[in-house]
Amino acid sequence: MRALLHCTLLLASLVTSAVSAEERWPVPEWVVALPVAAERVQALQAYAFPERDDAARTGVRTDALLVIKDGEIVYERYAGENSAQTPHLLWSVSKSVWATVLGVAQQQGVLSLDQSVSEHYPPLKAHPQITYRHLLHWASGLDWAEDYEYAPLKSSVVAMLYTRGRQDMAAFTAAHPQGVKPGIRHSYSSGDSNLLGAALKQPLAERYADYPWEALFNPLGMRHVSFEADASGTYVASSYAYMTARDLARLGLLMQRDGRWQDQQLLAPEWVKFNRTLFEHATQTQPAEALPGGHWWLNAELQGQRAWPDAPTDAFAGLGHWGQSLTVLPSDGLIVVRYADDRDGSYQHNTLLRHVRAAFAAAKP
Amino acid sequence: MLKLLAKGFGLFLLVVVLLGSVWGWQNRQHLAAFPDILPAYTAKEYCSCRFTAGYSADYCAGFTRQWLPLKRLSVDETNRHVTAEGMGRTHTARWLGERQGCQLQTP
Repeated sequence: MRALLHCTLLLASLVTSAVSAEERWPVPEWVVALPVAAERVQALQAYAFPERDDAARTGVRTDALLVIKDGEIVYERYAGENSAQTPHLLWSVSKSVWATVLGVAQQQGVLSLDQSVSEHYPPLKAHPQITYRHLLHWASGLDWAEDYEYAPLKSSVVAMLYTRGRQDMAAFTAAHPQGVKPGIRHSYSSGDSNLLGAALKQPLAERYADYPWEALFNPLGMRHVSFEADASGTYVASSYAYMTARDLARLGLLMQRDGRWQDQQLLAPEWVKFNRTLFEHATQTQPAEALPGGHWWLNAELQGQRAWPDAPTDAFAGLGHWGQSLTVLPSDGLIVVRYADDRDGSYQHNTLLRHVRAAFAAAKP
Repeated sequence: MLKLLAKGFGLFLLVVVLLGSVWGWQNRQHLAAFPDILPAYTAKEYCSCRFTAGYSADYCAGFTRQWLPLKRLSVDETNRHVTAEGMGRTHTARWLGERQGCQLQTP
């Protein structure tokens, strides 16, 4: 009997060590599997880091590029004043970060996907049909103009961030009229994301301010994170998270591993599945762009086309203004963080992913 | 003939002015807020660039540069306040802390 017990224990420890040898985690720090042979990354480097024109602000202007393969850093490069310690502005990648905070809240029983957001956020009482699921699909149906610097006069997002809405961005959004029924039309809106930013305030009460750290950033060991709030104390979930490339890659690893961080299931696997499932009323654009999942962008195929034809269909990403991105390529075991300051349309995400995959998709260096 | 032309032009002008007023009235909220965009954007994004992300003053000046010129940008490095003036409006952003970063101040 005792021999049997010993045998079982031995077997268990063997299995455990086999798992930990196979699975790399950045705990406490990322393992750097360098150096990579220069010729292997030559094309990638040439594409991502051409000679930089900061005066004219033209062309591809990558600030940081970090590639993770099976939980280890295989490529890392910074340009200009950026380094591994720079908490870079994420712009709209913040939306996917905040969605992950919501995912932890869902796992902890704070909210459910089909709950009316007005139950948590009273200014939405005029729109009681809007649920978390609708906002996560950017399908609130509210009348909203998501334009940036090219049409600033009537841009809802510019007014929200800088003028009429800046004191209380969620209330500014909630005051917009209902354009169409919620849940039937995807219409990208930073206002929808900021409603999600405000929704947790009432259920979390005094825990709200610390919650993103308590729920997500600290468990993942993300140490250089700032998240700016508006004057009403609501996190600007649409735009204003700052973190190092290495910290953002941790979030990518959590998503790649279906919400599990070592032995802790921070997000329900069904939550990640929701993030990665195409919104049922999504439509294809010409040329094809990444399609909406649950506050993440998908390389899903629709009408025979996809945004990044040189990457697998299971690729998904958080995407932000001026070239910010966190891309997860589960079937390649790859995570790609890119920070940038692209001010024109030169940069093509598909091209970057093609070069990353050519260098790293097949096997470890 | 000339009189008729002048009359026609007058009518045309009247229509233009009327349409313009209707457009202006419909967009009065947007028009009133428009001059605030440049100074508010610059104050907020310069503050965050400099104090939340920690770039140099030179870099942040380039980062926030817009196609419209700014009248004045003053940066209080000690208290971490940034004030921008342009289009006849003035806005200030303030750094609040490591986690909180910068925020535009109530005008």
